[in-house]
Amino acid sequence: MTIHIPSRILGFGLAGLLAASLGAAPAARTSKHAARGVTCVQCHGKSGKPAAVPFRQCQGCHDPADLAARTTQAKPTNPHQNRHYGTQTDCTRCHHEHKASENLCLPCHTRFTFKVP
Amino acid sequence: MSDEPREEGQGPDAYTRRVLEQGLSRRSFLGRAAGGAAAVGLFGMGASPALAAAVKEPKAEGFATSTDGGATLTFLPKPKPIRDREISETLTFDVVVVGAGASGVPAALSAAEHGAKVAVVQKAPFALSQGNTGSGIDLAASEKAGVEALVARLIADSNHRCDPKLIRQWAYHSGEAVRWVIDRAKQGGATVVDQGSPAQRAILKVNGYSMGYVTSFFGPKPYTTGDGMRALAKTAEKAGVKFFFQMPAVQLVQGRSGEVQGVIARGHDGKYRKFLAKKGVILATGDYQNNRAMSDYFIPDVKHLERKQMDRTGDGFALAYWAGGVFEPIGHTKMLHDFDAGPASMCDMPFLAVDRKGRRFVNETVEMSLLNNYLKDAENAGHYSQVFDADYMTQAATWPGKLVPPDGLKNYMPDEPGPKKGVFESQVNTHKAGTLEELARKLEVDPATLVATVRRYNEVVASGKDSDFGKPASFLAPILKAPFYGIHRRVRVSAICSGMLVDEHHQALNADGKPIKGLFLVGNLGGGFYGGVDYPLTVFGLSLGRCYTFGYLTGRHVARL
Ligand SMILES: Cc1cc2nc3c(=O)[nH]c(=O)nc-3n(C[C@H](O)[C@H](O)[C@H](O)COP(=O)(O)OP(=O)(O)OC[C@H]3O[C@@H](n4cnc5c(N)ncnc54)[C@H](O)[C@@H]3O)c2cc1C
Ligand code: HEC
Ligand code: HEC
Ligand code: HEC
Ligand code: HEC
Repeated sequence: MTIHIPSRILGFGLAGLLAASLGAAPAARTSKHAARGVTCVQCHGKSGKPAAVPFRQCQGCHDPADLAARTTQAKPTNPHQNRHYGTQTDCTRCHHEHKASENLCLPCHTRFTFKVP
Repeated sequence: MSDEPREEGQGPDAYTRRVLEQGLSRRSFLGRAAGGAAAVGLFGMGASPALAAAVKEPKAEGFATSTDGGATLTFLPKPKPIRDREISETLTFDVVVVGAGASGVPAALSAAEHGAKVAVVQKAPFALSQGNTGSGIDLAASEKAGVEALVARLIADSNHRCDPKLIRQWAYHSGEAVRWVIDRAKQGGATVVDQGSPAQRAILKVNGYSMGYVTSFFGPKPYTTGDGMRALAKTAEKAGVKFFFQMPAVQLVQGRSGEVQGVIARGHDGKYRKFLAKKGVILATGDYQNNRAMSDYFIPDVKHLERKQMDRTGDGFALAYWAGGVFEPIGHTKMLHDFDAGPASMCDMPFLAVDRKGRRFVNETVEMSLLNNYLKDAENAGHYSQVFDADYMTQAATWPGKLVPPDGLKNYMPDEPGPKKGVFESQVNTHKAGTLEELARKLEVDPATLVATVRRYNEVVASGKDSDFGKPASFLAPILKAPFYGIHRRVRVSAICSGMLVDEHHQALNADGKPIKGLFLVGNLGGGFYGGVDYPLTVFGLSLGRCYTFGYLTGRHVARL
């Protein structure tokens, strides 16, 4: 039996994630954003070429410090205030807009089993 | 006591010659890539056919691929220089340090204390590093013959492939440097102590000569050197150092003759800033464990092994390489540890060890720090478990290491309620069970396999001879009596310890062996300090001790230029 290791367990990050599918219509995830009227442009800008969204773009609407304060009770640890990045973990390392979100911490902390919305 | 070099001949020493000949530099690469159509080795005409064949002809984009197609040097192409009109702001300093870790923060403070105007650009939102122990030699408490004996030991630990002058430099300056770090970090509010010689029990005498040590300890866990470097950064700020966080360096600024004049970094706002350095740039960006291309290429051994750090993408390696620097040859030195799943003092005790399936796989006298070599396949990926029974306190009483009694083991058991002390709570992974099957489930190994392994092991023990792996009879203890214990360790890449060619001032050398003006490399980015298959644990805390020492010396050196 071989165990499949997703590359994130090795900590290589997201490079190349976008390369393949740029321009393709993304699978519409049932998203609070769409429901609340957040438009494509508000995340992707006006360039017309949707690509990875820089961290500061999310911060334009979500203040990381406020967010961290809201999730202090999250078990087993606060994903928005952590040892490695403080409140500054790039949101898109966990939350995805067009596909299932992932848990950045889990490969290294096997008991940090929180569900990422 | 000093490390005045002995008679040196003309030209580069043996270490430097080897790296110049077999290492990877932009010049050696481009020179050959331009050469023609035939498959040409990256390592030049002088390299062995096997080596030359290991690399296919680079494509026009400048990528090189290993013959199995698995490794690509995607970092090779030098990016187009960022133009001045893309720069939002230009700032001028004497010294610019890139990376606020175990070598960068000391380098910055040391430069400032020697009169320089210093900037630190840091990728993360704050200073960041790992570990607890960083060590040096207390020269006043050591015999010179002992210092030299330890130097010889460390050179042997590196399979004689390191640069002796750098080992000697650590040996003769680390006591002073580590004391300085302790003092300055305390000024910034750090929790740090000098554990001194008692922390280095195995090397109080080397070849019969007396030795003393300065052993800085930032802790206990979960407090670490990361917290320590943040405290040291406070002291540095008071000394005038300017820190720029979330500001990764992306390019070096170079003059016409290749001299390094500064750094371009990208801020959180997406804008580029230019940091000019009148005296020099000190790169201290750590290792490249999170850069798959570099890892697969230079140290394929760790292909399937998990990482302990994030964002160590070898940025400084790429920057120095683009500026003409030389990578140490393939076969870099790795550090894979797990001191956290159970007591650190029990990690080298030769209890039965089983792989991720539950099979015995090694003569257990092999130290934890070397076990990665047996577990580097995708299935095991560094996972193994130490297994023992209720009588371990008596049966292992005389073994090397230090036993923690059952009550203390609870501190390492995730299933035990109650707060943990002095550990990373999320990393502890020690278990207790009434049956072997239940233990197997907790250790995530196959129950039937573990039961069979223990049955066979008990036969071996009963025979008094380890006919399977040859472990000494004194380390054979049966596993019979409940409760059964297991420590599920997983060795992961803590650090990669090989780097790029530097001279004794930690100045980067180019493919001609000439210093690159204005460019200095410290920490794991600097080469020459290791060379073996694995990082040696002879001096506990050598890695951080070396980072502090070379940061301290280099900051001072560049400030005085
Ligand atoms: C869990 C763990 C425990 C360890 N324990 C010990 C121990 O007890 N004793 C010991 O001796 N060693 C220990 N080590 C090893 C030791 O931590 C490292 O060898 C050491 O930290 C390396 O120091 P450095 O300065 O080279 O890099 P780091 O300390 O990793 O610092 C590099 C810094 O550069 C920054 N950076 C990276 N890229 C850029 C860029 N492009 N621009 C700007 N900044 C950048 C990073 O954010 C980081 O802060 C441990 C390692 C781990 C992972
Ligand atoms: C809340 C912010 C947000 C909104 C709103 C948003 N996107 Fe995205 N989009 C992202 C992020 C972030 C990525 C990068 C992939 C990731 O991290 O999930 C991305 C990636 C993409 C990609 C690259 C392909 C892919 O699937 O990865 C396309 C195409 C894209 N978005 C199109 C759109 C379109 C069209 C809309 C409007 C219907 C939209 N996006 C709305 C955040 C957003
Ligand atoms: C234009 C403003 C805007 C931007 C830009 C934006 N968001 Fe949001 N986001 C919202 C709003 C509004 C909500 C809904 C809040 C609510 O209902 O409480 C929301 C909700 C969310 C939620 C909660 C979803 C859930 O199911 O509970 C997440 C996660 C999130 N955003 C992540 C992101 C990330 C990641 C980015 C950047 C890629 C981003 N947002 C960019 C406005 C924004
Ligand atoms: C380590 C993974 C991770 C990262 C990185 C991360 N989040 Fe989250 N996020 C979570 C998890 C887990 C939850 C659910 C928390 C809970 O259970 O309360 C969550 C919940 C949220 C929510 C809903 C909060 C609420 O009030 O219920 C929002 C909005 C959100 N995240 C936005 C962000 C933004 C914006 C960023 C970047 C600043 C970010 N997250 C970064 C894991 C993450
Ligand atoms: C690449 C592996 C890796 C990833 C991914 C990772 N961590 Fe860690 N984390 C570590 C290591 C190793 C330590 C212990 C050493 C140290 O201080 O870095 C640690 C320590 C911690 C600690 C303190 C340890 C304890 O048990 O008390 C916390 C809390 C933590 N991490 C939270 C997180 C969170 C939250 C995430 C996700 C945003 C995360 N980590 C992602 C490797 C990782």
